Amino acid sequence: MSVELFVTDKAGLTKFYEAIISKNETYAPVEKFGKYDFKRVSSFDACNPDAPIAQTMSAKPLFFPRSAKIMKYTADHSGTSVKETDEDSLAGKRVILGMKHCDARALQVLDKVYNWDYIDTDYQRRRENTVIISARCDKAETHCFCTSLDYDVEHSDAMDVAIVNGTDGKVFIEARTEKGKVFLKEMNIEQRISNNEFQVTDETAPAAVKQQYEAFAASFRLKMDYTEVNARLSKIFDSPEFENVSANCISCNTCAFVCPTCHCFKISDEKVKDTGVRYKSYDSCNNGYFTLMAGGHNPRPVKYRRWRQRALHKFVYYKERFGENLCVGCGKCTNSCPVNISIFEVVKQVSETVSV
Amino acid sequence: MDYTNQIREIASKLFAEGKIDVFVGYRMTGFDENQVPALIRDPNEVSKLVFTDKSVFNLTNYLKQDHTRNKRIGMVVKGCDSRALNLLLTESQVKRENLHIVGIPCKGVVDENGNKMQNCIECIFPNPVVFDEMVDGTPTGSEAPPYQVNTDIQNIAAMDLVERRAYFEEVFESCIRCNACRHSCPMCYCAKCCIDQETSTLYHGANTTSSAFHALMTWSLHLAGRCVDCRNCEKACPSHLPLHLLHKWNEQVIYENFQEHLAGVHEGDRGAFYKYSMKDPDDFIM
Repeated sequence: MSVELFVTDKAGLTKFYEAIISKNETYAPVEKFGKYDFKRVSSFDACNPDAPIAQTMSAKPLFFPRSAKIMKYTADHSGTSVKETDEDSLAGKRVILGMKHCDARALQVLDKVYNWDYIDTDYQRRRENTVIISARCDKAETHCFCTSLDYDVEHSDAMDVAIVNGTDGKVFIEARTEKGKVFLKEMNIEQRISNNEFQVTDETAPAAVKQQYEAFAASFRLKMDYTEVNARLSKIFDSPEFENVSANCISCNTCAFVCPTCHCFKISDEKVKDTGVRYKSYDSCNNGYFTLMAGGHNPRPVKYRRWRQRALHKFVYYKERFGENLCVGCGKCTNSCPVNISIFEVVKQVSETVSV
Repeated sequence: MDYTNQIREIASKLFAEGKIDVFVGYRMTGFDENQVPALIRDPNEVSKLVFTDKSVFNLTNYLKQDHTRNKRIGMVVKGCDSRALNLLLTESQVKRENLHIVGIPCKGVVDENGNKMQNCIECIFPNPVVFDEMVDGTPTGSEAPPYQVNTDIQNIAAMDLVERRAYFEEVFESCIRCNACRHSCPMCYCAKCCIDQETSTLYHGANTTSSAFHALMTWSLHLAGRCVDCRNCEKACPSHLPLHLLHKWNEQVIYENFQEHLAGVHEGDRGAFYKYSMKDPDDFIM
């Protein structure tokens, strides 16, 4: 895959974003109560593609909605009838601006489970119809640890178009996938070059992009060796340490609901008289009832077992089954935790109780 | 406000005297300026305990957790926390003889930006209303300021019903139905919460504005006359919803209509909705 790289400046990038928003169905971070969530936008002023990672929700709900209608039904004395729900509003051609690299990577991780024994066609259609434009962070935030995990943040192809802020106000725009190349063509990149808004890069550009990555990678407070952590955690199921580290967790589920890779759901019905809608909504393995079975048995009746499941699913089970960590190091769980539990610190602490 | 040394001393003493199995306080996260609740079971770990104006979380939430059930507990409480504790005692959720309560004469805690929390600015019970020993040895501190109506509530009250509904729909639209507010609330201890039932068709947990409206209104009514304004719920909310509006509204209605009742202030005082009198006013009900 050849990489296409263009150079512009901040003003050129803003114009580019404005053109994207005017020509496409665009989703971008929109602020409310000091928190950014991905919403449909119709003007550049309404959104902030540079929203700080700590205050921004994941874009996962645009692919795996917080609640999806899966069917409508009527059930009365004459019998039951089931209908398809309305057309999927998220399945049209669309563009997402301002998604972080970690958030985009999370979709690649989720693709594995959605393409496994059952193919989720709604998810697939949303993925295929979406162009992801992602700006590389300039600097790591307090709880970020993406560079410590098992993916190449520098050359990631999780986004279709990558944007890198260079020094001297330069901005590099790079198509990372075929879809990204086609999209740049659709956005009249050639005309922008002839207008001098964009320049085709000279040979110094890749070096400048590399330099930005090195400065970014050096800004991380959190670093770990994931192969070692994976290996240690896979031996640790019976460790009493899980009980200690989970003691101050209040099982509030926030971590799972904001996580860009958590994908557990529950099925519930909203019913008025004889008609109802069936929803598929987020759920969390921290919930006491999550594994409650018909008949009353619960294999994870206490908090530390649920907590262990969450940690090991992220760093061991998913890795064993699909070859990837189910954690992308975005730090959203830690930022949202009301009691400031850091998954990085805790996983590290538990793993240090065994030798490799 | 720094009571770190005093709390370490008290905790060591309690462990040495064999009075407690677990001490619930705060420790540093180890990676930033913030604190994380600490459930200390090993007397050697007492030196981890701290208390400053960053000790925000209301620890009485831990009384319903696996690690404290049927244990003898030492616990650090601020004014608001102690009101929650008082109610939990009244509602038979914890045995008084199992508790050793360490009271903090609180001067207010700060949010993540270092600003004093709004509920602390308006606080009228900075000193614990129930305790076994005060951290600085003195029984109580300064006189509390009189009850004031929250300014946010005044703004909401000035809206007409249509505007008010529109405002709250806007708030609830951002709810993601994680129920973190409910889980972080020390007063919510039901083993099976009505808003958290996967099989209910009434409170069905789907993430729609109407479902959020329904769940949060029900939740706030179950806390009417019981909320102590510790704002654990707002700290837990990943969408930063102004949940205090619901609770402060209830608090004010109850204060004005039920003999100036405030939750958990007096030992043994039951919530406003537990007491019934034919003379109770009802003109505030829509």
